[in-house]
Amino acid sequence: MSGKTKKYGKKAVLYLILILIGIIWIVPVLAVVATSLKSKQDFFSGLSLFELPDQIAWSNFVNAMTKGRLFMYMKNDLLVSVIKVPLGIFVESLAAFALTRTNIRHKTGIFIFFLIGMMLPMQVALVPINVIFNKINWINTFHGLIFVYIGFGISIGILILRGFMRGIPRELDEAARIDGCTKWQLYYKIIMPITKPAVATLIITDFLSTWNEYLLASVIINDTYKKTVPVGLMTFVGEHGTDYGYLCAGVLICVIPVLIVYLVFQRYFVEGISGAVKS
Amino acid sequence: MFLVPAFVIYVAVIVIPILYSLFISMHDWNGVGEMKFLGLGNYIQLFTADEVFQKSLVNTIIWVLLTIVVTTSISLLFAVMLNKKFAGRTLFRGLLYFPCVIAPIAVSIIWRWMYDPNIGFFNWFFDAIGLSYRQTWISDPKVSLYALFVAAIWQMIGQPMILFLAGLQTIPGEIQEAAFIDGANSIQQFFRITIPMLKETFVMVLATLIVNAINVYDIICGLTNGGPNNATQVLSTYMYTQTFQYNHVGTGTAVACVMLLISLVVIVPYVSFSARDE
Repeated sequence: MSGKTKKYGKKAVLYLILILIGIIWIVPVLAVVATSLKSKQDFFSGLSLFELPDQIAWSNFVNAMTKGRLFMYMKNDLLVSVIKVPLGIFVESLAAFALTRTNIRHKTGIFIFFLIGMMLPMQVALVPINVIFNKINWINTFHGLIFVYIGFGISIGILILRGFMRGIPRELDEAARIDGCTKWQLYYKIIMPITKPAVATLIITDFLSTWNEYLLASVIINDTYKKTVPVGLMTFVGEHGTDYGYLCAGVLICVIPVLIVYLVFQRYFVEGISGAVKS
Repeated sequence: MFLVPAFVIYVAVIVIPILYSLFISMHDWNGVGEMKFLGLGNYIQLFTADEVFQKSLVNTIIWVLLTIVVTTSISLLFAVMLNKKFAGRTLFRGLLYFPCVIAPIAVSIIWRWMYDPNIGFFNWFFDAIGLSYRQTWISDPKVSLYALFVAAIWQMIGQPMILFLAGLQTIPGEIQEAAFIDGANSIQQFFRITIPMLKETFVMVLATLIVNAINVYDIICGLTNGGPNNATQVLSTYMYTQTFQYNHVGTGTAVACVMLLISLVVIVPYVSFSARDE
């Protein structure tokens, strides 16, 4: 009896702690939501943080999208991400295929060579990329940005896809070879369809990291009309530093699409990361 | 053949620029004019005479140490709690992980708002619970670095937490049971069984956390950009301002190369550790 009470007591404490942590984690978002609904006048009338105004200032959101150019930044970012992600995965899957399905030498060495790139500081490539792009006029171009993004995405992509492809039984290759499959056919008819789950994980995580990337985009893009969301958001903040409601509406507009993607595809994140641990 | 596209892009975007950076870092250069060879001059200047660089090096080291101690323990604690079976576990896991998917730049703006001295959350909170305590947070040089670190924890705790959670789930239940029968209490179980069995997860978590800590940029750039009075200057922000604001391209690139060298201290053992079982 007392053991059971103790067990319930323990569970209650666990819930209490978790709810407290949960509140801490959700508060920053709630504070931004509460602020985004207020107009400039509401701040002067001394409304406290979580009090809602009589008239919700939806205009904050409309203005941030249009005058704040957030809609344009989102269009740019979407364009970059939609091209970068499939192209990058194609390149990475070819390499992962070569590292697991062909007879090239020094496979582990080549893999390590690619893997190191995942952990190097981007800063160390920043100046040369800037200098070279200036020379070949790739500054302020989407293809320049996409090219660099693909380069920096190669390591993680090869890591994940190679980990998955290694688990595909060798007998399949053998059977395909007997049926007269070329290496290329083996890649796109057999290996890639099986690799789908890993590709799905990679699409989601890669899309978000491309969408959120700031440092490289801030160096390569400085034309207002070509900025991606993070760079655009910094410009937006610089232009409207004191108009809090408007500012918070802008942040929310940038965060909401990402949260929707996250909520819909949540299981891919957990699976992808767990997969990385197991491999 | 299949390797060619990845190899070409990787060499063009990462390998060549790194070598080129090492070359530039040995020159006095403003980005457009003539390059003047200095040898290790930039590095000597940084380590002997550049106080802001030394400040940012110290701050980066503080950030790395905080990450190793605080981030690792909190994320492990969360993972252990979420490893228990209870209703709403997925909800809590999702809640603690979601800031990871938000752009660090957006996170920094959200926290700028939390820390706002006039109408931000923290000072509102002290007001609400009846304290007259006030703090300017990120504008106070004494606390700003730690205030930034709190924002960083809020954002990225989910990543190591999920890694630990995945690691915890590989520990078979029988082992815990056997320990329980042998009379081990939960704290003994944790230190004698759980932690040793998580060794590989620890290596992975620490390696990624440390490398991320050395390179931390977005969140600091968005919150203080190194200020006030260089109190939150880290290597990455110093590298950026030197290179792109003051056109001290040689100095800035040398800072980047210092970051590279520090990172290698972690990367080399980590990669050889992971490649060992190949």
